Amino acid sequence: MSDLSGFSRFARTYQPGELIFAEYEPGDSFYLIQAGRVRITKIVGDIEKNIDILQPPEIFGEMAILEGAPRSANAIALDTVKVLEFNRANFEILMMGNPQIALRLLRLFAKRIYDQKRRFMILTLEDPQAKIADVFLMLDETRAPMNQGAAELDGDKREFKVTVDDVAHWAGMNLNDVQTILGHFSNQRRVELYQDRIVVKNINDFIRFVNSKRKK
Amino acid sequence: MPKLAAFRSNSVIYFNGDVADKVYVLQSGRVSLNYTDIENGKDIHEVIERGEFFGVKSSLGHYPREENAVVLQDASVLAFTVPEFEQFASSNTRIILKMLKVFSNQLRRIHGQVENLMENQTSVNPENGLFRAGEYYLRNRLYSQARYVFGRYLTYYPAGRMAEQAGRFLEAAETALTRYGDGKGPAPLAGSQAGRPDTEPQAATAPRPQAQAALTDVAKDYYNAVSLFSQGKHQDALKEFKRIMDASGDDGEYGPKAAFDLGRCLYALSQWDATIRHFTGIIQSTPRHPDMADILFMMGQAWEKKGDNERAAGFYKKVLSMPGDEDSSARIKARKAMNAMGGA
Repeated sequence: MSDLSGFSRFARTYQPGELIFAEYEPGDSFYLIQAGRVRITKIVGDIEKNIDILQPPEIFGEMAILEGAPRSANAIALDTVKVLEFNRANFEILMMGNPQIALRLLRLFAKRIYDQKRRFMILTLEDPQAKIADVFLMLDETRAPMNQGAAELDGDKREFKVTVDDVAHWAGMNLNDVQTILGHFSNQRRVELYQDRIVVKNINDFIRFVNSKRKK
Repeated sequence: MPKLAAFRSNSVIYFNGDVADKVYVLQSGRVSLNYTDIENGKDIHEVIERGEFFGVKSSLGHYPREENAVVLQDASVLAFTVPEFEQFASSNTRIILKMLKVFSNQLRRIHGQVENLMENQTSVNPENGLFRAGEYYLRNRLYSQARYVFGRYLTYYPAGRMAEQAGRFLEAAETALTRYGDGKGPAPLAGSQAGRPDTEPQAATAPRPQAQAALTDVAKDYYNAVSLFSQGKHQDALKEFKRIMDASGDDGEYGPKAAFDLGRCLYALSQWDATIRHFTGIIQSTPRHPDMADILFMMGQAWEKKGDNERAAGFYKKVLSMPGDEDSSARIKARKAMNAMGGA
């Protein structure tokens, strides 16, 4: 980690359990973790879902660069957390003095752009079944933290630690429609539905299906 | 060391879908990045300028190339491995900054496109979303989280539709936190969105602190004054708070609250000296005032307005050193204020 001793004025400390920011709050700063772990959660109905657990030297809250965009998740200190807090105003100072952090942010943006493009590809599919199948392809490709590594079972079988709600979110569809379609897939024995996970029996079957629906 | 490579006209440096492991700089000749716009399906030909980097995003992000890099005119390019590029960029931070700007613009754009498509189904009004997050925490007896969220709600939406409710929930959270501690005591907000029965049997029967109780007259007066304040009618609000303060004194719930808000009115009216006098009075007469962190913060603000940054910083530091208020809005505001002064 690069020398950040000159940045102590941006340093913040959070106690375990303390919220660093809440979802829907307008965001104007992002954070570099120096010590401790940060839990990223989303409240879905009556459940607070863990989305990720971050540790030094990860960056979070970087979507604050999207002006006026509300936070998309809660960030909660899991341990005593030390962060450097940056905003647009002091961002350049930090980056100029710390190319390593700038590079980390650059890599993060590259990944975010890709993730967003991938989501865009899902949302622009017209066939709702294909949208849902494509959500699983995306999760399989990216091994997003959401599913804590899509477990590769034997061969083409994949297990995703996601719920119907998550799938609905990624597909940009309403819950009922997603439930119906997943039920349909389940009847066709293409997926198995569990409380906390969904198993795709043959990921290649989904790949072929989505490709056939995607306009070239 | 980055390698210089020569490519003939019409050859392809990399194909869409290739594994990305190199970053290139065009030294001479002409190269075009060809891809299909994901939004409108149009074929895009982006001509690279001499000295320009290409292939950066996919290499750094470790994902496949998203375009064909086609040579239009015999070209020589400098090819960096990712570590070579990172090493090079580390000593040329301006380049990273420039790329960060390009990337953040692209991210903004694609994010906007995704949001557009999502809009119909899942977009939640941020004001409601924030309020609901607070309710969730309160319902689950995570009082300090609830306090943070409602504090933020009131910071961003002081005149919001649920501001009054947020104020009451904020108090309920504070009361429960002081009285029981996080995760303990009867849930101040019973029931659940999903109709899940609360596992805590006493929750159903316990009286809910303030939250649902009928408002007393003084409470109504108080919230009326708060409303005046949030509408920017500071002079009127000041009169009301003064009246409530005189009628209630230091006792009860609304006297001290009104005293605090009166100070806010003075501040809003740019009466810095009067603000400082008023808050100094509260600090002396009610050292355990529940809004002490905010009072100290406002003192700092008033001193800052008077141009005395040293005294202002002293008050901000006091806010930050106060125990048990780690996630209060005062703390956050004090941090920001310190930050701003430091950055000035």
